[in-house]
Amino acid sequence: MKTNEWKWALAIFIIILLAYILPYTIFTGVAKWYGSLLLWIVLTLIVIGINYFISRNWGK
Amino acid sequence: MSTTYVWWAIAIYVLASLFVAYLSRSGKQTSMSSYFIGDRKLNGFVSALSYSATTYSAFMLVGLAGLTYMGGVGALGFELIYLMGVSLVAFFGPRFWLVGKKYGYVTPSEMLGDRYDNKAVAIVVSISSCLFLIPYSAVQLAGVGYLLQGMTDNAISFTTGVIIATVLAIVFSFIAGIRSVAWTDSLQSLFMIITSTVVVIIIISKLGGLGDFLHTLETDHYELLTVPGNGFWSFTTFLGMTIPWFFFSLSNPQVSQRLYMPKSLKSLRTMLMGFMIFGFIYTMVAIVWGFSAAIKFPGLENADLATPLLLSSDLIPPILGAIVMVGIMAAAVSTIDSILLTLSSLFARDVYGNLKKGATDTMQLRVGKIVIPIIAILAFLFAKLQVNLIAVLSVASSAGLLVVVPAIIGTFFWKRGTAAGVLTSVIIGGLIVIMIELTQIKPFGLASGIWGIVISTLLYVIVSLLTKAPVKKANEFLGYIKTALKNESR
Repeated sequence: MKTNEWKWALAIFIIILLAYILPYTIFTGVAKWYGSLLLWIVLTLIVIGINYFISRNWGK
Repeated sequence: MSTTYVWWAIAIYVLASLFVAYLSRSGKQTSMSSYFIGDRKLNGFVSALSYSATTYSAFMLVGLAGLTYMGGVGALGFELIYLMGVSLVAFFGPRFWLVGKKYGYVTPSEMLGDRYDNKAVAIVVSISSCLFLIPYSAVQLAGVGYLLQGMTDNAISFTTGVIIATVLAIVFSFIAGIRSVAWTDSLQSLFMIITSTVVVIIIISKLGGLGDFLHTLETDHYELLTVPGNGFWSFTTFLGMTIPWFFFSLSNPQVSQRLYMPKSLKSLRTMLMGFMIFGFIYTMVAIVWGFSAAIKFPGLENADLATPLLLSSDLIPPILGAIVMVGIMAAAVSTIDSILLTLSSLFARDVYGNLKKGATDTMQLRVGKIVIPIIAILAFLFAKLQVNLIAVLSVASSAGLLVVVPAIIGTFFWKRGTAAGVLTSVIIGGLIVIMIELTQIKPFGLASGIWGIVISTLLYVIVSLLTKAPVKKANEFLGYIKTALKNESR
């Protein structure tokens, strides 16, 4: 795997870890729309953005 | 809901799909590669829509909405972690695509067999896919039956619904192979997402707009906004459900085979990004759907009734309710026909092609076409029988397919992986998953999928280290990927 691929993979891995840990720890008592609901949405949008960057040069 | 509306909606849906399927017949489908993977010439847009339709089934607006209804926001986390897992395509997609083109692979199991230099690998992996995916298709078929029966108060019987879905799946895959599947998938995916999004917007506005909707959740159903919340989404449940789905894009052949089909890496990119956006929207729709049902009809014992109740409620105009119901049916059919086509290609290419000496491409294609209706009928019979084992295998399908993931990762990233490692990990891992599902004995409270991936990884690594790796093939295969990736991303 190329070096920058490893960096992206690590970034995605950390975000996914957060998606497991945060809702069950600091957000477990936040019964608001800006709790786990918003968190998961934001993390997913970041991952979609990372995919955009990883695939930016495909076929070019 | 009026049965007349439902029949009209079904009729229009069937006619429109048949028309698109008919139009899709261009060129001659006389080889395995043209019939099953469209000669690797699919454009990005169709690839993205078809990938979406294949992945998302009736589960979304019935099952996921039900999970939201029962346990709240954990369902969103579950589905979005799956979507984040599709990032695997960003790493494995170009690799699948490059070797597919270079070595002419039609199925993912064919690739494994070649890479590990062992025909038994291809045969075993494809048979295990069939074992888990036929029951999964059966449950999808049954889902259509229950939906039509429930929505029309038995005016359309369960059997009629199942027959309609089976016939449509056979016809869509038979007319022009992957071409008719991809094009009807595209039509169906647009239909699914547009109708359900419109309905969700209507529901939210009827419930007082987004502000009121969220406010009602926070005040009257606050336990639905956290995990574990009311206890449904305990951490072990969450882990047990998310892990198998996280690897879905690699473990399920009906989607991993899609990585061979785009006409260029640019089209592969369109497929990946298009799917992620589609998936994000569709997930949000299903979750809002479930929350709305919780606000409107709290206290149902069977959460699977949430969607039918919502569809026939006064929140939604009856005609629109019928249209969305057909949208859910389209979601199921577009998943079944793709699985049907993939399983036929697996059987023809990997089982028949390896066991029958001198089986030419033309003979394989003939067998593949004969197998399509046979697999469909098997799924139909399973759906009708409602045998206990079928339900077990279907629930186990995502976990059971997971055991092939270590072998797939090793294909691209570990030269020491061996055929013996693959065979032991897939066979023993698969049996353990089935055992856990049958007996419902879950060691340490962990679900079958987690045991499946842990045990298969250990077996794959240990047995590989103890046996001799196909060094020549591995070097050639991985060497090619390395140079090709460099050339492609310059």
